[in-house]
Amino acid sequence: MRRRDNLTAYLFLSPWLLGLFLITIGPMIASLYLAFTDYNLIQAPEWVGLENFTRMLSDERLHNSLRVTFTYVFVSVPLQLAIALLLAVVLDRGVRGMAFYRSVFYLPSLLGSSVAIAILWRQVFGTEGLLNQVLALVGVEGKGWISDPSTALGTLVVLNVWTFGSPMVIFLAGLRQIPTMYYEAAAVDGASALRRFFGITLPLLTPIIFFNLVLQIIHAFQSFTQAFVVSGGSGGPSDSTMFFTLYLYDRGFGNFDMGYASAMAWFLLVVIAIFTGVNFLVSKYWVFYEN
Amino acid sequence: MTRLKALAAAAIISTLLAVSACGGDSGGPAAKDGEVTLRFSWWGSDARTKLTQSAIEAFQKEHPNIKIKGEYGEWAGYWDKLATTVAANDAPDVIQMDEKYLREYADRGALLDLKKAGDLKTDKFEQDTLGAGEFDGGLYGLNAGINSFAVLANPAVFKAAGVALPNDTTWTWDDYNRIAAELTAKLSGKGWGTGVIGANEAGLNLWARQNGESLWTPDGKVGVSAGQVTKFYEYVLKLRDSKAIPAAETVAQDMTASLDQTSLATGKVAMSFGWSNQLNAFSKASGQELKLLRIPSTTGQATKNGSYYKGSMFWSISARSKQQQAAAQFVDFLANNPASGNILLAERGVPANTEIRAAVTPKLQPADAASAKFIQDIGKELGEPSPAPPVGGGQVEKIIQRYTTEVLFGRLAPDKAAQQFLDEVNGELK
Repeated sequence: MRRRDNLTAYLFLSPWLLGLFLITIGPMIASLYLAFTDYNLIQAPEWVGLENFTRMLSDERLHNSLRVTFTYVFVSVPLQLAIALLLAVVLDRGVRGMAFYRSVFYLPSLLGSSVAIAILWRQVFGTEGLLNQVLALVGVEGKGWISDPSTALGTLVVLNVWTFGSPMVIFLAGLRQIPTMYYEAAAVDGASALRRFFGITLPLLTPIIFFNLVLQIIHAFQSFTQAFVVSGGSGGPSDSTMFFTLYLYDRGFGNFDMGYASAMAWFLLVVIAIFTGVNFLVSKYWVFYEN
Repeated sequence: MTRLKALAAAAIISTLLAVSACGGDSGGPAAKDGEVTLRFSWWGSDARTKLTQSAIEAFQKEHPNIKIKGEYGEWAGYWDKLATTVAANDAPDVIQMDEKYLREYADRGALLDLKKAGDLKTDKFEQDTLGAGEFDGGLYGLNAGINSFAVLANPAVFKAAGVALPNDTTWTWDDYNRIAAELTAKLSGKGWGTGVIGANEAGLNLWARQNGESLWTPDGKVGVSAGQVTKFYEYVLKLRDSKAIPAAETVAQDMTASLDQTSLATGKVAMSFGWSNQLNAFSKASGQELKLLRIPSTTGQATKNGSYYKGSMFWSISARSKQQQAAAQFVDFLANNPASGNILLAERGVPANTEIRAAVTPKLQPADAASAKFIQDIGKELGEPSPAPPVGGGQVEKIIQRYTTEVLFGRLAPDKAAQQFLDEVNGELK
C-alpha cells in the first residue's frame, strides 16, 4: 500500500519532474559538454578541452562584463532591500488602505523585468525622454541618460531598485510574525520608536533579510532583459551595460561561439554558488533565529 | 484509490501531450495533398513589410499549393533570431541575407547552393551582381538589389537653416565638416548638420578605399591600417568639435534606434550616412522627400570616393529546408517575375535582374526613382567592387559602433581606439 502511495505521489509529481529533466537538467548537461567544445551552432561541436576556460582569463570584454555585473549587484541589491524594508515598516503601521498601497508598490515587481517596462525606460531616460522634459521645466538641462556610458548603468540600477515590491511583501509577512508583546514591553520600558526598530524589529527580521538578500543577489546576477532592451541588444554605450549574461548571449548567438558561451554560463553558476555559499557562512554571525 | 489513479493517469497523459506538442513538427510539410508551407524571413521597415506581403500574395495566387509564412523584424534583432533558429534546426526556408553574414552561414553549410536549386534562373543577371553572392564555386545568395553607400540629405532642414545643398561631385571631407557645422550653427539648437560617420563599417571602408586601402582584403583578412583608422577617428573628433554632429549621447542613441526613431527620420539632422535604397524608408519616416548625395572624398573628386555597387541584400535558401524546390520557385518569383518586380520596385535596391530593372524603372515612385537614378549616375565613377567580409566579419558593425562611441565620449584617443578596434576585429575572424 505504501509503495502504491509513493507511486501515486510520483505520478502527481510527474509533470514537474518531466519539466525538470527536459527543460532544466537535460539542457544543463548538454551545456556542460558544450563548455568543453568549439561549437558554432551549425556544425557538430569539436572537443577542445579547457580552452574556453583559459580564454576567459585573457578576454578583456569578459572582465569588463564582470565589473559591470558586480557593480550592478552590489549597488542595486542593498538599495532595493533598504527601500523595501523601509516601506514595509511604514505600511505595517496600519496605514489606511494598506491593501491598496501594498498592491501599488508590488506592481513594479510584476512589471519590472518585462520587455514593455524596459522599452518604457528607454523612452523615459532618452535624450528627449520624460525625465529630461521634467528637468527642463525646472531649468535643468538633461542628457541622454541611457546613451551616456557614465549614467547608463545607473538607469538600470534605478530600474531594479524600483522593483522593490517582492522583497517588500516578504518583509511585510515577516513583520507580522514578530509578537506584539515585545513592542508592548519595550513601550512600557519607555523605548523610542527608533530604539524599538533597532532593538526588536531588525534582529527578529534578520532571517527574512537574509532570505531576501540571497534571493535578490542570485536574481541580480542573472539580470538580462532590462539591459538587453534598454541598450538595444548591444550592452552599450561602450559596453557600460554589458552584463555577464548579455555578453554570454552576444558570444553565443551573435558570434556563433556557443562553446565559449556555455563555458561562461558554468562560470556564472560557480560565481553565484560561491556568493550564496559565502552568504550562508557569514549569516551565522548576523542572522538571529528566535528559537 | 482507483479515482486517484485515474487522475494521475490523466495528469501524465496531458503532460505528455503538452510535451509532444512543444516538440511538434515545426513548419510541417504537406497539410493537404501537395500543399506546402514555406517560411520566409526578412528585416526592414514597415514600408518593406507591406510591399513584401503583397509580393507574397501575388506568388500565392500563381501557386495555390504553396503557402508563404512571413517572419520579419528590425535589423538589430534579426541576426540573433536567425542564428537561434538555424541552431535549432528550425531555419526559415527562404532567408533575406546580408553580405556580412553570407559567408558566416554558407561556409558552415547552412545555405543551399542555388546553382543546384533547379527552378531558379539567373541568366538575366550581370556577372558582377551574381558574383557578389558566389564563392568556392557555389551561389549561396542571389542578389536582391543593388545599392551604394551615400549621404542622405533632408532639403527641408537645409532650407530651414538657409544653407544651399552642396555640390556633391567635388566636396571633400573638410567641406563636409564645414557645411555640417554651418548647418548646426544656423539651426541654433533646433537640429544638427549630420549624423556621424562610423556608425557602421561602410564609412570606414570607403575612407580606406579613398586612401588605397580596403576594410577587407580579397583573401579574407583585415586590409585597413591602424594609421588610416586613426585618421578616420581624428576626423570623427573634428566633426564632434565643430558641432557638426549632435552630442555623443544622441549619436550613441541613434546607433541602436529603429530606423523611424533616428535623428534623420525625425528631422533633427540635415544629413546622415546610409544606403541608397534606404532613401524610400527614410523619406516615408520623415515625411520629407530626402535626397541622395555622393560620399565626400579626400581629393574632392567623386571618381575617387571609393564607392562601389553593393548587393544590398541577398536571397538565400536554407540547406536544411525540406521544401527546396518550392523555395527555389519562390526566390525565382522574387528575382525574375515581372509581377513581383512591379510590386517590390527598388525598395531593396535597384533590381539586379536587368530585364526587371528596365521594366520597373519607369514605374518607380519618387524616392525609389531618385535612388535608381543615383545608382545610375554614379555608375561611371565607381571603382573595383569591395571584397566581401570573411567569416566573423559580421561582428565588425557592433565593434566599430563601440569604438566610435568611446572616441566621441573622449574615453579613448583615436590612435588607441584604432589599435583596439583592429585587434578586436582580427580576434573575431576565424
